[in-house]
Parts: sequence; structure tokens; C-alpha cells
Amino acid sequence: MTAYYLGIDIGSRTSKGVVTGDGRLLACHVLPSGVNYRAAAEKLREALLGKIGLSVSDIAATVATGQGAGNVPFPNEPVTDIRCCARGINGVFPAARTIIDVQAQSSQVIRLNGSGLVTGFVVSEKCAAGSGRFMEVIANVLQVELKDIGPLSLKSKNPVAFSTGCAVFGESEAVSRVAEGSAVEDILAGVHQALADKISALVDRVGMETDCALSGGGGLDTGLIRAVEAKLGVRMLVPPQPQIITALGAAIMAEETRGGH
Amino acid sequence: MATGLNRVAEIYADRAARVTELKAGGKRIIGYLDIFPVVEMLTALDLVPYRLLGDLNEPITRADAYLPTVVCPFLRSVMDLGLKGKYDFLDGVVFAHGCEVSEKMAHIWRTYLHPPYAHFIDTPHTTHQAARKQHRELLKDFQKTLEEMTGQELTAEKLREAVNIHNRQRVLVRELYDLRKPDPPLISGAETVRVMVAVASLPVTEGNELLEQVIGEIKGRKDGPAPKPARLIVWGSIIDNTALVDLVESLGANVVMDDTTVGSRDYFPLVEITDDPRDGLADRYLVALRSPRTFRETVPDGNRRKDYMADLESRFGYLKDYAREWQVNGVILQVLRYCDIHGYEVPALKDYLESIGLPGIYLEHDYSKVALAQLRTRVQAFLEIIG
Repeated sequence: MTAYYLGIDIGSRTSKGVVTGDGRLLACHVLPSGVNYRAAAEKLREALLGKIGLSVSDIAATVATGQGAGNVPFPNEPVTDIRCCARGINGVFPAARTIIDVQAQSSQVIRLNGSGLVTGFVVSEKCAAGSGRFMEVIANVLQVELKDIGPLSLKSKNPVAFSTGCAVFGESEAVSRVAEGSAVEDILAGVHQALADKISALVDRVGMETDCALSGGGGLDTGLIRAVEAKLGVRMLVPPQPQIITALGAAIMAEETRGGH
Repeated sequence: MATGLNRVAEIYADRAARVTELKAGGKRIIGYLDIFPVVEMLTALDLVPYRLLGDLNEPITRADAYLPTVVCPFLRSVMDLGLKGKYDFLDGVVFAHGCEVSEKMAHIWRTYLHPPYAHFIDTPHTTHQAARKQHRELLKDFQKTLEEMTGQELTAEKLREAVNIHNRQRVLVRELYDLRKPDPPLISGAETVRVMVAVASLPVTEGNELLEQVIGEIKGRKDGPAPKPARLIVWGSIIDNTALVDLVESLGANVVMDDTTVGSRDYFPLVEITDDPRDGLADRYLVALRSPRTFRETVPDGNRRKDYMADLESRFGYLKDYAREWQVNGVILQVLRYCDIHGYEVPALKDYLESIGLPGIYLEHDYSKVALAQLRTRVQAFLEIIG
């Protein structure tokens, strides 16, 4: 009989869930975290189980991670997102030794070994510089859909220079560039470069070893991926669903430890 | 009156309670900042040294008008408390050139808070012969202003007596720290912070009595800390409250040692008794105190270039000894935001820890409980790695 494992990643912006069985990814789901992490976790589990026709009792173990892990109302083993992210990437790209994880409110660079164990890490400081939230703020100013940011920015011939990676100052700076008549794609490309600068400063602090992977919601933004690749001079391995990697790692850890129930 | 750890809890909750009582009884209370003012000279003249500390729970509101916001938040907190009148009971203040910001703050304090007595010791920043000589001269100046204020002569005999009492305190602190060596430690890191803050808030003789009580109580109790997989040393900027250590200890670690200034860094070095006691004092405060604010001559290699590893050994070798004696398996390098003297030290210290195979994590925080909570994941991940 197949045993099923649940990985739940309650992020500050979105919540991600994964169900695995026999070492395979069977279902995943993403929804906004909203202001009630408990409700988000419940809804996530319900949606996941619904997708593959399972009930709560079919889940052998659950690992919860992310900022809201402490709010997950059903039995689980809490594990830090740093460790889960490393295991998740290791499951997809076993050769990865460095991960750039671009989340909504912060970014982190994680070093890992061939077994997916964390050997070092560095997290951006508490402001949202170098994180996905910065892109959201800019997209809002420019009235661009988030999904269009990447493709649009790649059309830029003349990226504007952004002096800040700060989400608050960045907004007013974007407004100024708009007022000066800069093209939307040039502003977006400039923002990507500013983010890549911030990320490369983090990479410098913990050191880089290839292969290098990029995970988190930032991995959905092709413009950001290209900017980071240009800045670091290496190709990024990006999983097909980069935002669920940490939840996937959580499910893998649940399967390994079977300690959740 | 409460004794031992209960007394510690009382003083930790209301630091000034005891010294304001003493003041009502006619004693004079002198505030001092950081670890460089030579407090023996105060004790010798029957003045009560009282360490200036910040308050993590008091939002900084007034100090921003006097100090830039991009400087050490601990010092901004101390200044803020001064501006809010929380240190009005003091009969004077002594500052030293601990770091650049504390030096500037000394003058700002004197200008705007008008303390009845104020003295600034321009502590040299190197341990060269000339600097040591200069420090001796500076202590003579300090003595002169104290004698003027009190109308008493500071004799060598009085000073020697004060040195002995303060050395006794240092020996007691070592005894207390020895109780952290077993596994599990007999006293938690957070309890130790409270004891040290209490001791820094009392006249030295009362601090000694309190330490004796605490040591006796700890040795006899059965409900000490539980064993935990990680035994950590906390290195870095001042820690004058339990918030950070509480956070770390709540995540499955015992903080068993520190290298901070309300801790081993201030209390471990003793004063050598010299013919002129001021000589021993001058050397203890300039040379024996191991703070990154004091430059020590680099160790050259055969070509007279800096031998980096030998230099690291000479700067941080004592941490290896601490790690061995206290059976430490991880280091928290914690630095207050904008604390330059510790910030500059971090890359070299990381290299050193790597060279001796001791894992470390660097945490920057800004002297607020909210900011500390954000470090939780990092500490957890670090403990997972070393566990």
C-alpha cells in the first residue's frame, strides 16, 4: 500500500503544499496565505487531498515549514524552510550545491552537499530588498501583470540604473523614471539588475559552488533569472515549479522521518 | 530581603532600586559606560560605580535629536534614557573612548544633560609602550578630578583595597562561569545574563555577596537547565538583557559561555597588584581587556609581512580555549547594527573559527525584541546544521 506524505509551506505571501507517495510528486497546490495562516493550511490540505482523492487518514506524516509553520493546526513536524528548500532542490537537481531562494519578503542563499544537507546559508536582512515583494511593488507602479514582467524586461535594450534595492524607495524611484519617460521594459530590466546585485552580495557572503539553482517565487520571473545569470556568470537550474520546492522538500523530509503522526 | 536568584530577579526588574536607596542614605552614585572606566578609583573613594545600560523595552524617541540614527542602537538607547531623566539620580558620569560613538556621546551627554560631575578618559587604542604610558597619565588626571569632587585624597592604600575587592568579584564571576562547564550547565545563559546585569547595578561589596549567594544556590539546586544538543558561546556586542539568549535557549541550545562586555570579557581579566596600584590598573584596562576596539600589533611572518593565521591565533586563540573548557560546539557571532568595532572583526573571526573547525553563525540585530524574533529561523537552521 502506498504511504502518502504532506509538505506544507506557509509563506508570508503564498502557501504551498505538496503530497508525495513512493518518492514521487503526486499533487501540489498554491494559494494566497492571507491573514489567517491556520485557515490557509486547512484549505491547502483540503485542496491537495481533493486533487488525488485521499482523506486525512491516508497521510502518514506531515512536515510544516515557512513563516507560518507554527500556525499549522494539524499534527506536523516543524522544520526550517532553509533545510526544506535544500532537500527539495536536491530531489530535483542532485548536482546543485548552491541555491538562490527568492521568496516574497526575503531572499536566501543556501549551500548544500550531495545528500541535500545544508552546509551554510545567509539570509537577506529584514527589509524586502532583493525579494519578490519588490517586484510586486514595481509591477503595481507600472501596472504590469506579474507574469508579464519577465518577458517584458527581456525586451529592454537600455536598462535604467536603479540606485536602490529597497522596496519603499524603489517605488518612488520607479515613479520618477516613469515621469521621466523611461520605457516600462527598461525600468523592469533595471529593477532586475538591482535585485541581481543584492542577490550577488548575498552569494559573496556564503560563497558559490556550481551547480547553482534558483527557487522560490522569484524563479517564475525569467527576467530575474537572466539578470542573476549575467551577474554571477553561471547558468541557473530552475525547477518547473520553483515556488513549491520548499514544500516538496518538506514532504521528502516527512517521508524520511515519518515523524509527523 | 530576598537573596540569591530571587534578589537577582528583583534587581534585574528594577536596576536602580538599590542605588537610589543608597543615595537616599548619603552615598554618591557615579554612572560609567562600557568597560574602560577604571571603577576601582571610584570604589576607593567610597563612590558607587553604576553601569550605564540601555532598555530594550523602551522605544528610542528622544535620542534621535542628539545622535544620528545610523549609530549603535544600544548607545542610542542609553542616551535616550538619559534624556528621559532615567539617570537623573546619578551624581556624575565617567566615559571612556570605548568606540567612536561612545566618545562622541560622552561629550553630548555632558553638553545636554549637565551632570554634576563628568569625566572622559581618552583610552588609547593600541597596546604600545607609549600608549601604556599615556594611559597611566590619563588615570592620574582622572584621579585629580575625583579628588577635587570628593575633597579626599586617593591614597595607594585605598586603591589597593579597592583593587582587591574588585578582583574578588572577578574571581567570583569565574566561579559562577565554572558552573556552566558541566553538561547540562548548572545555570542557564539567560540566568547568567540576569546575574551579571544585577552585579553591574550594585556596589562591588554587595555584588560580591550576591554572587556568593547565587553560586551557593546554584550548586545546591536540582532544577537547573536540561541537557540540549547544542552548547554555544555568544560572542560580540553588548548583551544587557535576556532577549537574544532566551530566543536561542528556547530553540534547543544551552548558551554556556559568552565573550561580551556584561560577561567574561569584562570580568575575567584580573588587576595585577603593583607598587603603584595605578600601573596595574592602567595595564589591565588597556592591555588585558580583550576588546576589538584595541589594536594589537599584528604577528609578522619571516618576511615581515602579516602572518594571517598567526595573527588570528593571537587575536582569537582564547576563544579556542573557551570552546574546549566549556565544551562548546557552536558560536553565535552577534553584532548590533552599526556596531563597527565588532562588525570589522567578523570576517577574520569567521576565518579563525573555520580554521579550528568550530561552526559559527553571524547575526545582526538592532536592539529590539521584534528584530530578534526575525532571527529565529536562522538560529534554528544553524542548530539543525550543528546538531
